[in-house]
Amino acid sequence: MRLAATIRGTSYRFASVTEVLAKANPPKSGDDQAGISAKDAVERVAARAALSELTLADLRENPVIPYEVDELTRQVEDNLHDPSYRAISHLTVGQFREWLLESTTTGSTIRSISRGLTPEMVAAASKLMSNMDLMTIGSKAEVVVRANSTLGLSGRMSSRLQPNHPRDDVQGILASAREGLSFGCGDAVIGVNPATDSAESTVEILRALGDLTTRNGIPTQNCVLSHVTVQMRALELGCPMDLMFQSFSGSQAGNEAFGISIALMDEAYAIMKEKTSNRGPNFMYFETGQGSALSSNAHHGADQVTLEARCYGFARRYDPFLVNTVVGFIGPEYLEGGSQITRAALEDHFMGKLMGLPMGCDACFTYHADMNQDELESLEVLLAAAGVSFLMALPVGDDIMLNYQSSSFHDIPSVRRLLQKRPTPEFDAWLADAGIMDGDRPGERFGHAEVIR
Amino acid sequence: MSLTRDMVEGLRIALGESRPLPEPLAAETIEPPPKRVFPNQYQRGAYAAKAAAHTTALVGIGNVGTRYATNVVLQFQAELAVAHAAVAAELPDGWATENGLLSLKSRVTDHHEYLLRPDLGRRLDEESLALLRENATTGIDVQPILADGLSAVACMGSGMELLEAFTKECRQRGWSVGTPMAARYARVWLEDEVGETVGARVACILLGERPGLGTGDGLSAYMVYEPRIGKTDGDRNMMSNIHARGTRPAQAAERLALVAGAMLEQRTSGVDLDLSGIQDRIGDAAGGLREPQVREQLVESGP
Repeated sequence: MRLAATIRGTSYRFASVTEVLAKANPPKSGDDQAGISAKDAVERVAARAALSELTLADLRENPVIPYEVDELTRQVEDNLHDPSYRAISHLTVGQFREWLLESTTTGSTIRSISRGLTPEMVAAASKLMSNMDLMTIGSKAEVVVRANSTLGLSGRMSSRLQPNHPRDDVQGILASAREGLSFGCGDAVIGVNPATDSAESTVEILRALGDLTTRNGIPTQNCVLSHVTVQMRALELGCPMDLMFQSFSGSQAGNEAFGISIALMDEAYAIMKEKTSNRGPNFMYFETGQGSALSSNAHHGADQVTLEARCYGFARRYDPFLVNTVVGFIGPEYLEGGSQITRAALEDHFMGKLMGLPMGCDACFTYHADMNQDELESLEVLLAAAGVSFLMALPVGDDIMLNYQSSSFHDIPSVRRLLQKRPTPEFDAWLADAGIMDGDRPGERFGHAEVIR
Repeated sequence: MSLTRDMVEGLRIALGESRPLPEPLAAETIEPPPKRVFPNQYQRGAYAAKAAAHTTALVGIGNVGTRYATNVVLQFQAELAVAHAAVAAELPDGWATENGLLSLKSRVTDHHEYLLRPDLGRRLDEESLALLRENATTGIDVQPILADGLSAVACMGSGMELLEAFTKECRQRGWSVGTPMAARYARVWLEDEVGETVGARVACILLGERPGLGTGDGLSAYMVYEPRIGKTDGDRNMMSNIHARGTRPAQAAERLALVAGAMLEQRTSGVDLDLSGIQDRIGDAAGGLREPQVREQLVESGP
């Protein structure tokens, strides 16, 4: 294993695979903050050249956090699918990139090796790719999951309706939910971030959403994004819960800062499997986002793209219905602005899909990041073109509780029209029946929230 | 002639030769669409009016095709502009001194670096540290620190009023209050180094909060007992949304003094601080919910 490269006569040597991975990363303010990024553009390319010669076996044998100290590393290593791994382990990262890009490599061939990939392998591949490379492969890697409806089919793009309210006013939440539904949004999930992290509040919101979707016969999923332990208590109190949610970080220490562990998630999964109101087989929902490990000083000197991929290695354990990378919420100290947020969104979508996950993206920005509304709308189109499973949907994209800007009720039907995408087949049928859509065009009742009872 | 060339020529003819599109239709006068005004109580539909009783989210706003009406776009752009302007604003040189405040600065050297390096915003630069050691009163009960945070607009807006009201509340309770000061490029944790340097029992930083859509004038207050470098978020108590349309500065000052009193009495802060005796009187500092931000109509076109 050679960790060196020469560019125009200058030799660059790297001390570890972790350093090569970090320095090969495209510029990210979070890696700069951590002091691990390449010192200039030439060193970055040198790191990529060194990385391109490493084999996938080298990456498996050199995880960025050692097996002995991190349960996420152990989880990936102990559950890796050996036949899939053996099919690709001899490839260098450069060869792996080319194999992925070949026209003969299809969604089903990617699926055949997916379970043999470790997070470090998919992160490494992303570092040798341009945005369009990431999109080309992302759109090939088909992932289809099923709960009350079927997500991720070809030619489909779904949305999470996010009707948050700063005081959890149920009537306020329902007002936003009805509006979103009337624009054809909410086929992935109607998901509320609660202001109060209590089981009682979770139950109250889930019951109200359950009543709404039952009364109107809407084929979708409901979720309240409280802490997993709160949702477990809510299930005990008794409520219809279609999806169980939790945020993930890319290291054991990062997950400890979130108050979770593999043991806890295994327990949550088992309870949910028994008690969920959804028809399955997929019923978990995870959120991730580059920078979360560094923000709790749990990054172990690894770069934020590789750590993000490690979230997917963990998520894979639970066959989730949704995985959402929240790219712009963390702030400019991790992703400085439009170009870094765009890059991160496409990387995360690519890495997650490659690992067999139904990847959605909260394409968003905070008002102190260097990103504007036009860049956000462009990113939505890029993600949809790359085959993203779902985007967020908020009233004018404004989260009145979390104070940030995401994609809107109006953006979802606009992006679908631009790229000839439709919602899940089940939801599509409901929209036609309700007169909200007429085929791929807005129907008579499009935007008429009052028709949702 | 090759077969391909024949085929290409045939295609040209089939596709309309030099006119690949049909002639445009004759223009007809286009009727102006119905007037849409946002947010205007009497012109809103029944759904929007009903929703407004429960949420400040922009619902019931209709659509043009799949997009927004012009008036909605302008309101949204104005709200975005207010937020971005608040983030971009900087405390002018000399602002602190003009207001009779000791002028401090973090280790950050410019606004861009401020956004990218929170670690530098948590520590004083050497000049400020020397200034603090020379000029600030030491061994006090409470050290308030006014700061820009993520909105210098908020700092310059309600900042002085909040600082003065809080100082007054503290003095009325018989506590010694530190030298009035303002810090530039400051993050919350800067209060640790400032408070430790002046030997304050409680440090309280009052700083501009991250702007939301249409707002950039909110201040937050973060308070810590026995400020020391190395304190974490769990050691702090906070209050948000302090401005003329949220929690008014005078009311916030009283609530902050109540929390400071609890810290001085219990000799702790953050998660260990028991606020049960005063929770009805301190608003969101008791861990309650933030009030929804009331939306204002920002755009009035025409004369």
